[in-house]
Amino acid sequence: MDPILIELYRHRFSGVADEMGVTLRRTSYSPNIKERLDFSCAVFDGAGGLVAQAAHIPVHLGAMPASVAAALAAFPVWRPGDVVALNDPYEGGTHLPDVTMISPVFLDDAGEAPRFFVASRAHHADVGGMTPGSLPLSTELYQEGLIIPPVKLYRAGVRNDDLLRMLLRNVRTPEERRGDLAAQRAAHTVGERRLRELVARHGAEEVLAYAAHLQAYSERLVRAAVAAWPDGAYAFEDALVLDDDGPAERVPIRVCARIEGDAVTFDFTGTAGAVDRSFNAVLGITQSACYYVVRCLAGEDVPVNAGCFAPVTVTAPEGCLVNARPPAAVAGGNVETSQRIVDVALGALAQALPGRIPAASQGTMNNLTIGGLRADGTPYAYYETIGGGMGAAPDADGLSGVHVHMTNTLNTPVEALEMTFPFRITRYALRRGSGGRGRHTGGDGLVRAYEFLAPATVTMLSERRDAGPWGLAGGAAGLPGRNVLRRADGSEETLPSKFTRRLLPGDRLRIETPGGGGHGAPEDGPPPRT
Amino acid sequence: MAKKTEERRQRVGIDVGGTFTDFVWLDGGRLTVHKGPTTPRDQSRAIVDGLDALGVAGDAAVVHGTTVATNALLERRGARTALLTTEGFADVLAIGRQNRPHLYRLSLRRPPPLVPAAGRFEAPERLDAHGRTLIPLDETAVERVAERLAAEGIESLAVVFLFSFRNPAHERRAAEIIRARCPGVMLSLSHEILPEYREYERTATTVINAYVQPLVARYLARLDEALGARAAAQGRPPGTRRVMQSNGGAIGLRQAAAQAARLVLSGPAGGVVGAFALAKQAMNTETPEIITFDMGGTSTDVALCPGAMPHTSESVIAGLPLRLPTTDIHTVGAGGGSIAHVDAGGVLRVGPESAGADPGPVCYGRGGERPTVTDANLVLGRLHPDRFLGGSDAVRLDAAAARDALARLGRRLGLSPEAAALGVLRVANATMERALRRVSVERGHDPRAHTLVPFGGAGPLHACDLADALGIRRVLVPPNPGVLSALGLLMADVVYDASHAVLREAAALVEDPGPLREAALALGASVREVLRKDGFAEIALEVRLDLRYAGQSYELDVPLGTPLSGASVARAVAAFHAAHEKRYGHARADAPVEVVTLRVRGAASVAPPDLPAEPPADADASVARLDASPVWFGGEAPTPTPGYDRDRLRHGHRFEGPAVVFQYDTTLVVPPGRSVRVDARRNLWVER
Repeated sequence: MDPILIELYRHRFSGVADEMGVTLRRTSYSPNIKERLDFSCAVFDGAGGLVAQAAHIPVHLGAMPASVAAALAAFPVWRPGDVVALNDPYEGGTHLPDVTMISPVFLDDAGEAPRFFVASRAHHADVGGMTPGSLPLSTELYQEGLIIPPVKLYRAGVRNDDLLRMLLRNVRTPEERRGDLAAQRAAHTVGERRLRELVARHGAEEVLAYAAHLQAYSERLVRAAVAAWPDGAYAFEDALVLDDDGPAERVPIRVCARIEGDAVTFDFTGTAGAVDRSFNAVLGITQSACYYVVRCLAGEDVPVNAGCFAPVTVTAPEGCLVNARPPAAVAGGNVETSQRIVDVALGALAQALPGRIPAASQGTMNNLTIGGLRADGTPYAYYETIGGGMGAAPDADGLSGVHVHMTNTLNTPVEALEMTFPFRITRYALRRGSGGRGRHTGGDGLVRAYEFLAPATVTMLSERRDAGPWGLAGGAAGLPGRNVLRRADGSEETLPSKFTRRLLPGDRLRIETPGGGGHGAPEDGPPPRT
Repeated sequence: MAKKTEERRQRVGIDVGGTFTDFVWLDGGRLTVHKGPTTPRDQSRAIVDGLDALGVAGDAAVVHGTTVATNALLERRGARTALLTTEGFADVLAIGRQNRPHLYRLSLRRPPPLVPAAGRFEAPERLDAHGRTLIPLDETAVERVAERLAAEGIESLAVVFLFSFRNPAHERRAAEIIRARCPGVMLSLSHEILPEYREYERTATTVINAYVQPLVARYLARLDEALGARAAAQGRPPGTRRVMQSNGGAIGLRQAAAQAARLVLSGPAGGVVGAFALAKQAMNTETPEIITFDMGGTSTDVALCPGAMPHTSESVIAGLPLRLPTTDIHTVGAGGGSIAHVDAGGVLRVGPESAGADPGPVCYGRGGERPTVTDANLVLGRLHPDRFLGGSDAVRLDAAAARDALARLGRRLGLSPEAAALGVLRVANATMERALRRVSVERGHDPRAHTLVPFGGAGPLHACDLADALGIRRVLVPPNPGVLSALGLLMADVVYDASHAVLREAAALVEDPGPLREAALALGASVREVLRKDGFAEIALEVRLDLRYAGQSYELDVPLGTPLSGASVARAVAAFHAAHEKRYGHARADAPVEVVTLRVRGAASVAPPDLPAEPPADADASVARLDASPVWFGGEAPTPTPGYDRDRLRHGHRFEGPAVVFQYDTTLVVPPGRSVRVDARRNLWVER
C-alpha cells in the first residue's frame, strides 16, 4: 500500500460520489432532493463494501450498505444496465420515502460479476400511504405507502414499464416521482462512467486494490481515535413521548456505550419494545446514529467507507424500538427516533469525554407534511422540516435556527413554496431566548407560521414538546417546542407533538421549535465574548 | 470614435493585490509592466504613485481592479447597515437556509450576520406570488423605521420585501419615505439589486450591496478626485476611469458606486479575462477553448472558457450567497503554501492548513518548520534557490532547510526526501486535478479539447503535470503570468448585466412571446441607459434565458435569438434540451420547460488592443540558455535539466523538455516529452 496513492484514491472515489450528487441535485424534482439535499450517493465495491459516500445528511451515513446487501441477496445475477430500486425498511431501506437505487458497474476485462456498484438514496416527496408526504401517524408499515422490495426497475438497460406504471399509480404525485427516478438513474450513469474512466486510466488491479486499502485506512484512523478514549461502560437514558392519542406515554431508549481499547459497542438493551406508532427504527438507522457520533469525535476528514464502521458495534434486542421487526411502522423512526438515539449515545459518551460532548440539541426535525388539492384540482404533497437550537458545546454557544445531528436539509424558500402550493408562510423567525442558559448558551429555536388557503391534510411528527433538550455540566435545558393551531374562527389550540389534522382555509398553524441545552453553570462566570 | 482611438493608444490596467499593485501600461504599441507596494488604507495612493513612476499621461484611460468591496466584506469593515423586510421575515438573513456549515462538528461558530438583530426592521406589507397586494404597505411603520435609522447613525439600508421582483411598488414607496426623511442613508432595493426569486439569496445579495456600497462610493470618489487632480496638474482633461466587475466586464465609476456588490468577486475575474483575451490573439480565434489555472500561495482559481467567458449566478462569498452574474471561477484552498503532513493513518496529506505568507514555506527562512508544496518544488530542483523572484536577496531560498523538512516527512513514510517531495506534488496536484475536473468533465466539457493557461506564482510550476493528468496537449504560458489580472483589465469590455424574473412555461411564450419581448425591450433600454451615461453609444445586447424543466430548481442558461419571436423562444428551448443532455447526460424532450429568468447583457467593446508582436528570430534558443541543474521528474534519480531565461526568449525559439524556464515572478517546469516554442507575442507554447 502506497501512502501517496491512498490519498489520490480518496480524491478519486469521493470525486465520483460527489459528481453523482451534483447530477442528482440539479436534475431532480422533489423539493426534498433539489432544495433540501435530502439524498446521498455512494460507490461500493463488488462485495458490497462501501468505498465512498457523498452524504448531505448523516442519517444516510453507513445506511446504504444494507441496501446493497439486500439487492445482492435478492439478485445473484447482474447484467450491465440493470437498476434495482427498493424502499422496504425490512429489506435494505429505512423508511418508505427514501427510495434507494443500485446499479452494477462492470469492467470490460472482468467476467460475470460487477466489480463496483453505484447507489443513490433520495427522499421522495410522496410514496402514497395514508397521508400526503408519506410520513403518517401510522400503526403498521402497510399504511405508510407503497412498499418496494428490491426489484429491477431496469433490466439490461430496458425499463420495466409495467413496474413503473404500478409504482406511479400508487403515489400522489406521479410525474414528480418519474422525474426523480430519472434523476437518480442519471446520477448512476455519471458514477458508472467515472469509475470506468478511472479503471481505463489506472488499471483495474490498482483501482480495486485501493478501494480496499482506503477502507483499511479509514479503519486505522477510527481505531486510533477510539483508542484514546477512556475504557469503560457508560450508560444513559432518554425517551420519546407519544402524545397523539390519549395521555402522553414515555418510551425510553437506553444505551450502554462500552469502550474497549480501539473499539466501541453501543448496546441498546433495556430500550422499550416497538410501539404501535410510526416511531420504530430499523437497526440500520440505529447504526447510522451511532456512526454519526463516532465520526464527529474521530474527525470529519476520515474518508467515509466501510472501514469507518468496523470498530463500531451496535446491538439492540430484536423487536425493540430501535431494532424493529415487520410489520412495525417506521416512518418517524428515521427522522425522530434517530435524533434521540444520537442524544443517548452522546449522553453516554459525555461521561467518558466530558470536555468534548455538547448539551442536547433540539432533538427533533419537526417534520411537517401538507397535502391536498391545488386550485386546478391537481394533488400535491409537500414535506418540510424545521431547524431549531443546537446544544451548547463545552467551548461554544449553540447555533440558532439550524438542523442538528442526523439531518442538515435546507429550508424551502418562501417564494418558491408560495408559487407552487396553496398555503403561505406568515412568519419565519428566530425564537429568541429559547436556548438554555449556561456558561455557553444553547442555540435558539425557530418560529414558522403557516396560513392555509385551501383545505389541507397536515401531519406533524415532532418531539421535545413536553420538556426541552437537556443541558450539561450545570447548563439549563432549552425551551420545549410548541405546535399551535388557530382556527379561522379565532379559537386557539395547542396541538400535541404528533398530529394529523384536516385544516381549512383561514386556519393558521404556528410551530415553535425547541432551543438547545446550555453547557456549564452560568455562575461559572460570564460567557466569553464571541 | 475619437475617444476609442485615444483609448487604443493610452490605457493602463491597475490591479490591486494584497502586497503589490500591478500596472500594465499600453503606450501606443508598447506594453510596460510595473509593480508597486499596495497602500491598504487608501488604494488610490498606490495608483497615483504608480502612474507617476511610469510617467503615464493624465488623460490615459484607467481600468482598475479594486479589492475595497471584497476586503470590506471579508474583514467585516463595511458600513453601519440596516435591513427593512416584510413583517415576519427580518430574521431570514440570520437563518439563511437553516443548515449548519459542517455536518460532523459538535462545536460550531459562525460569523454574526452583516446586520445585527437590532438593525433588522420589519414593516407590515405583503404581496402574493403574483405580485398582488395582500397587505398594503404600512407607511407609518416605515416612517418609524426612518426615525430609528437617523437616531442610530445608520449609513446604508437594504430593503427586501417578499415577491418584490413581481411588483416593486412597496419597495419603491418605502424608499421614497426613507429618502425624504433620511437623505444621507444609501438605499439598496432588492428589486433593483437582484430581481429574482428566493428570499434568502436576494436578501443576502442586497445586504452585501448595502454593506459595501458606502465604502466603495467614497473610495471611487477619492480615486476620481485624485486622477482628476493629476490630470489637471498636467493641464490635460482626465481620461476615462472604469473599474472591473465580478462579471469580467468593466463599468464606469458612477454605476460601480451604485451597485457595489457587483465588484465583490472582481479580483479573480481579471485573470480569466486576461487569459481569455490573450488566448484569442495567441490562437487567432474569437472563441478559444481554454482552462485557466491560477495557483498562488494559499488558493487556486480555475475556470473553463468554452469559447466564451464563463458566467454563473451562484457564487458564495464570506459564507453568503451572491446571486449576481459572476465570472464562473472554482476556487480551492490549496496552493504553494499548503502544508504536507502524515496523518494518524500513515497517509500523506497536503493541506488544508497553509503556511500562508507568514511564516511561509520552510525555505523562506522565516520560521516555517513544516514542509509545503513550495519546499517540495525546491527539493526537486523545480525552483531554483537563486532565481526566485528574479534572484532578489530579500527572498533567497534555503534549500537545505527545505530538504531537512522533507527528509523528516520522508522518514515517517519510509521514503527519501525526494520521493517524499514527489509524493507531496502528486497529492497537491490531485487537489488541483479535482478542481479542474469539476469545471470541465463534471459540466460536460472534455478537458483534452482545451488549452491550459497557467498563471499566478505557482501555476506554471504545476501546469504540465496537470495537463498530463487530464490529457491536455497544449499549455499556453503568458509573457507575464504574474500580472495577467492587470492585463485583463486592459482588455476588458465595458459590460452591464440586468435580469428579470419570468417564471412562466416556455410553451406559453412560444405561443405568445409578447410579454417576453416587452420585458426584453425594457431591460435592453435600461442597460443602454446605464452604458450611455458612461459615455458609450455603440452597444451590443445579448439576451439569454435561464431555463429548467418545470419542477426543477436549477436552471441552465441559453442564448435567446433576436428579433425575439415564438420561433426564437422555441430554439432556446431546443438549446436547453441539448445543454441538459450535455451537462447531465439526459434530457426530457417531452417534459414542460419553464422560463425562470431573462438576462440582458450590454457590452460596449473598447476595442481590445493588439498585444505587441515581433518578427521571428531563429529557432535557436541557446542565447537564453542557463546552466543545467538536476531536476526530479519521478523515478530514482534526477535528470540534468537545462534552465532558460524567459527574458531572453524570442519569437521563433524552440527547445525540448526537460527544461525549466525562469522569470521574475514564476517558474515554468517542462517535463520530458514536451516541447516549447515561443510565439510572436512571446507566449510560450508547451506541447506534447
